[in-house]
Amino acid sequence: MTPTLAVDATGVTKNFGPVRAVDEITVQVAAGEVYGVLGPNGAGKTTFLRMLFGLIRPDCGSIRVFDKSWDQAGVGVLDGVAGFIESPRFYPYLTGRANLEGLALLDGGTRAGLIKEVLDIVDLTDRADRKVGGYSYGMRQRLGVAASLLREPKLLVLDEPANGLDPAGIRDMRALVKRLAASGLTVLLSSHDMGEVEEICDNVTILNRGSVAFHGTIAQLRTMAPDPGYLLATTDDRRALALAEHHHGVDVSLDPDAALVVTGRRSEVSAFVAALMRADVELLGFTETQTPLEALFFMLTDDTRPTSAHRSNQAQEALR
Amino acid sequence: MTAVQTHMDPAVRESTVAVERRRGGLGAALRFEVRKLRAQYRGWAVLAGAVLAPIPIVVIINGQSRPPKDTLFGRFATDNGFALTLLILGFATQWVLPLLTAIVAGDIFASEDQHGTWKTVLTRSTSRAQIFWAKTLTACGFAVLVLTLLAASTIASSLLIVGHQPLTGLSGQTIGAGTALQLVTASWATTLAPTLGFTCLAIVLSVWFRNPAVGIATPVVLGMVMVLIGGLGGIEIIRPLLLTTSFEAWHGLFTQPRFTGPLVEGLLVSAAWSVLSLGAAFAIVRRRDITGG
Amino acid sequence: MRRTILIVLAALIAVIGLASVVTATTGGSSSVTRARLEKSLPVVFANTYVNQANLVGRNVTAASLHAKAMCDKHGPDVADIGPGGDWNCLMSWTDPQVPMPPEGYGKFELNVHSNDCFTASGPSKLTGFLTITDKHGKPVTNPLFEFDGCFDPHSDNAATGVYFPSLFAITSPNVTPTAQGRTTVKVNCGTGSQGCAGTVTATAGRVNLGTMPYKLKEEATGTLQLPKPVPAGAKEVTFEVKPSTGAGPTSPATIPVQPR
Repeated sequence: MTPTLAVDATGVTKNFGPVRAVDEITVQVAAGEVYGVLGPNGAGKTTFLRMLFGLIRPDCGSIRVFDKSWDQAGVGVLDGVAGFIESPRFYPYLTGRANLEGLALLDGGTRAGLIKEVLDIVDLTDRADRKVGGYSYGMRQRLGVAASLLREPKLLVLDEPANGLDPAGIRDMRALVKRLAASGLTVLLSSHDMGEVEEICDNVTILNRGSVAFHGTIAQLRTMAPDPGYLLATTDDRRALALAEHHHGVDVSLDPDAALVVTGRRSEVSAFVAALMRADVELLGFTETQTPLEALFFMLTDDTRPTSAHRSNQAQEALR
Repeated sequence: MTAVQTHMDPAVRESTVAVERRRGGLGAALRFEVRKLRAQYRGWAVLAGAVLAPIPIVVIINGQSRPPKDTLFGRFATDNGFALTLLILGFATQWVLPLLTAIVAGDIFASEDQHGTWKTVLTRSTSRAQIFWAKTLTACGFAVLVLTLLAASTIASSLLIVGHQPLTGLSGQTIGAGTALQLVTASWATTLAPTLGFTCLAIVLSVWFRNPAVGIATPVVLGMVMVLIGGLGGIEIIRPLLLTTSFEAWHGLFTQPRFTGPLVEGLLVSAAWSVLSLGAAFAIVRRRDITGG
Repeated sequence: MRRTILIVLAALIAVIGLASVVTATTGGSSSVTRARLEKSLPVVFANTYVNQANLVGRNVTAASLHAKAMCDKHGPDVADIGPGGDWNCLMSWTDPQVPMPPEGYGKFELNVHSNDCFTASGPSKLTGFLTITDKHGKPVTNPLFEFDGCFDPHSDNAATGVYFPSLFAITSPNVTPTAQGRTTVKVNCGTGSQGCAGTVTATAGRVNLGTMPYKLKEEATGTLQLPKPVPAGAKEVTFEVKPSTGAGPTSPATIPVQPR
């Protein structure tokens, strides 16, 4: 007997008028894993998550959550599911606590003390009795997490949880998601940020323009990632360029901002840097421009160039 | 959020096959709707208006040297409390009752769009149908409450300030104070059906346009248009079908002999408007894709 | 949004259009009818009459009045159906202390609303002015001066069979002979059934100026020309009406001559 999938979406398609927002996507999330749905804004991530929650009806395809479908179970599909889509919204004229109490009513009640517990988890206990209208964006985001935990879910769906947060907020939110994931909860995380997903997800689906551009594990994704890129600032860029010509395995060019752009495998790049030192070219700065996965992500989803669709298809086929 | 505790995850027991949980039913959704309504200023403002506004109106009309003869019972309004409540009733049915009920009913669905909270409530364990009926029942309950308060306040202040002399009926007959009080109370009660009709109209507009301003203003405008159409000669065939015609069905209680044909018709017409409005609203809510918020 | 507004507008126009078509084909059946007014008005009137009598300290019962009415909307050429401010009702009743005029009725003007309610104002000669003096000597509002009533839109619509004759009257305030000696007078036929017909005989002093036949529809006016010129120096002309259809003044009407 195969274990029940937390999410089993097959061939899901949704059109908004003439626009195909989601085009036959298939996403399968095993119970207990942390799954990332990645894509630039407008790729169809949110539409897919809304269909998962029954907020939008798919035109075709099937969505089963813990082996229940909307057709059979209605709102029972959401029994083990919680989360939020885009930024969480609450009633501004109610306090944070009153919002949670109301939502708990809709959930059929919660066990005693749970509201206090979830408020503690997201560190909103002190502000719980203020009206949500006065909350900052980050506070609302945290209240959204609290409202989700209130359902004691088996599957937590978070849509861009770090969106709009300040760096400290992003750090805290990531820490929270990690801890939740570590506790055995199935997490379905959507993001436009590779870095966010890379750290915590086991499997990812990359969406581009409503279609699946990549589907697999992070490890698989890494194997097809391009060489990382670095920005080098040296005391003598001309000399460095000249040296690079004799150094195989790295590709060096001069950037208009008068920095050297170096791409190549990590070992080759460090060998090149060592060569520079030996040649008395001093290194003033060394920055990673983008991680290999980010580079790949942009390659898979870059839709500004006409060839991108073609290329991402190739990338997809290469993986199969 | 920095104070994340290690026992933080009470939620996760085990990711097993079957997941069942309790679900909030209609009652729970209703309690939440009432709680939301109670937390909002507008509902209280309407209720306070319904209780307080009749008092200065009664005082002002009572102080007029010439009674407002253009309206039914107006000519007796300055020296008969029963006539004054009926004058105010006639005025209230022009647009006041549609407005009072629409302030809540025209907003109760659209405010979810305004606050982007459809996704918040629909991702819990309550179905769209349950949310729909909870909102509808809340709006209708509020309509009953506001009508009751307005009627009680108008009758009480009229009788206390102007008096409870015997009333001249619409057949010229004299109606004793005891009977008059019963008939006046019944007259206010007969406006409940069309008021609920307007409540349902406001609900469908609120659902359709997703805009509280449209949900509140349109029923009032439609009410005034219906009054206008109802007053025109020549197109009287559609007059009985108008929601506002039911607002005048109480006239039959004050004639001799009484007639109740328009009351029965009014009840049927109000029911038809309500059923059609709610049916359309329900269909929209059920089918709608929640893309906003 | 714009599309929805257009849909709503289109729907509204369709409804109004449909209603107009229905109205045009059914002839605009209104609950406001002559028969219903003729049945309703006397009841409201009688009850109000009793109220007025009580105010001034008289004792009258509604039943003793035997009030009955004949109603008409805007003359003979307009159907007697539908709301409007142009309804006239002729009503007779029995009160020994307030005898009816010779034609046997008083004329009430009604403003009938589409909600089956009306406001009636009575002829003040018969029903009194706005303010009357009650039995305690205090001025009070006369309930009969203007009163409201409503009727059941589903009540029996069978004709009442109440008819009153139209009242013929000479309306010119004076007679003015022209240079050629021709003289005309304005005449009027009031609300009632079958209009007015008969003869008018004019005399100036002892001079017979001739007899003129007349025939008018109800609620119509006309002009009669005297067959003979008014003799010079005549101060007034007396007209004697002999109606064959409708009612006329019972005593001869005397009208002053306006010299040119």
